[in-house]
Amino acid sequence: MTDTADPVRMRHRELEKIANAALRLGRSLMESGACVRVVHRGMVLVAEGMGAEVTGLRSGYASLAITVASGGNTITRMTGVGRHGVDQRRDLALRALARSIAESGGSSAQVQRHIDRILKGTARHPAWLVAIATGTACAAFGRLLGIDWPAFAPVLVAGSLGQFLRHRLFVAGINPFVVAAIVAACAGTLCGLSARVAGSDTVATATIASILLLVPGVPATNAQTDIMEGYPTVGSARAVGVVMMMVFASTGIWFADALLGVHR
Amino acid sequence: MIDLLAFDPQAVLHQAFFGAVAAAGFGVLFNFGPRNLAWCAAVGFAALAVRTLALEAEWSLEAASFAAAATASCIAVACRRPLGAAANSIALAGCIPMVPGAFFSQALLGFLALTAPHADDAQQILLSSLQAFLRVVFTLGAVGAGLAIPSHLFRQPDF
Repeated sequence: MTDTADPVRMRHRELEKIANAALRLGRSLMESGACVRVVHRGMVLVAEGMGAEVTGLRSGYASLAITVASGGNTITRMTGVGRHGVDQRRDLALRALARSIAESGGSSAQVQRHIDRILKGTARHPAWLVAIATGTACAAFGRLLGIDWPAFAPVLVAGSLGQFLRHRLFVAGINPFVVAAIVAACAGTLCGLSARVAGSDTVATATIASILLLVPGVPATNAQTDIMEGYPTVGSARAVGVVMMMVFASTGIWFADALLGVHR
Repeated sequence: MIDLLAFDPQAVLHQAFFGAVAAAGFGVLFNFGPRNLAWCAAVGFAALAVRTLALEAEWSLEAASFAAAATASCIAVACRRPLGAAANSIALAGCIPMVPGAFFSQALLGFLALTAPHADDAQQILLSSLQAFLRVVFTLGAVGAGLAIPSHLFRQPDF
């Protein structure tokens, strides 16, 4: 009997397409900063909207797996997950797509096309604006921590340049933890020296404020959310990632301190 | 009993304003759309105002952060209709200025200083580093709990 004449194998192929579409949406959500509950709900909406029943989901920090069923047939597929970033507009677009598939259905090709469009076409702020906004946020954070006005501009400039450098290093494919150490060393040194030249009395606090762009605030709260909601594996992995990121960022600051004495 | 007349409005406004700026700035980094950036700033303003008021009333940083995060989450719950699925993310962005990253750095740098060949005043460094580290853990926990409790009680839909 040929493949096309075997109804069971045909059903498996359809189920595989559904599983792959759900996995791709889940992976994209996870890479956009969603917590596991949202990722799972999105995958279920897509699979059910396409006509399958979800009988199992498994989430790890670096992979997702789904089992979908229809009648007596089931199929399990797994996919890897890339770097966990935060992209709120992409996250919202993916949620809207999942909702729309749940309401109106869609073929596998249509769903994959929609996901392609979202991944390639979601608007992003220009890199220069992100850099300036991030530097401004670091300077504002610094004011909350008590830096004086002479340190404000050095934190703003060092934070902006730090974000720009981070963006360039990410584009070059450098490991995120290594990026954190490099950015912390560069931004901390620049900020410490320029705050001292500007006559600041809060050089140490300003130096730390200039690297606050590296603090993974969203993963830190996602870690708690995941653990609270019954996904301790991903939650713990996220927490370890947060600690590692801070260790590397602090190493960068420590290096700047040792090299130039900016943190004294 | 909280004495509202004893507060320094300028200090509260200062903290709230810079909380709004920090929330909006990190909102740009997280790729929020222009409309939602304004909401991030508003929620950041409210959260930091509440935290500053609570700190001025001599609450601990952890309790003040919990109250501020719960306020941000309640705003997200109350404004669910205009905010849509972005409500929870906006509440989170408003709380980002309260994430104690500076204490984390202080704790780690303190621990590094302890291992220096000739650590001066090691006991004091250890104590201050431990204090900073515990403050990080408890404050992060307070922010997370403050964000989670209202949204779970009122069952915020994610989609």
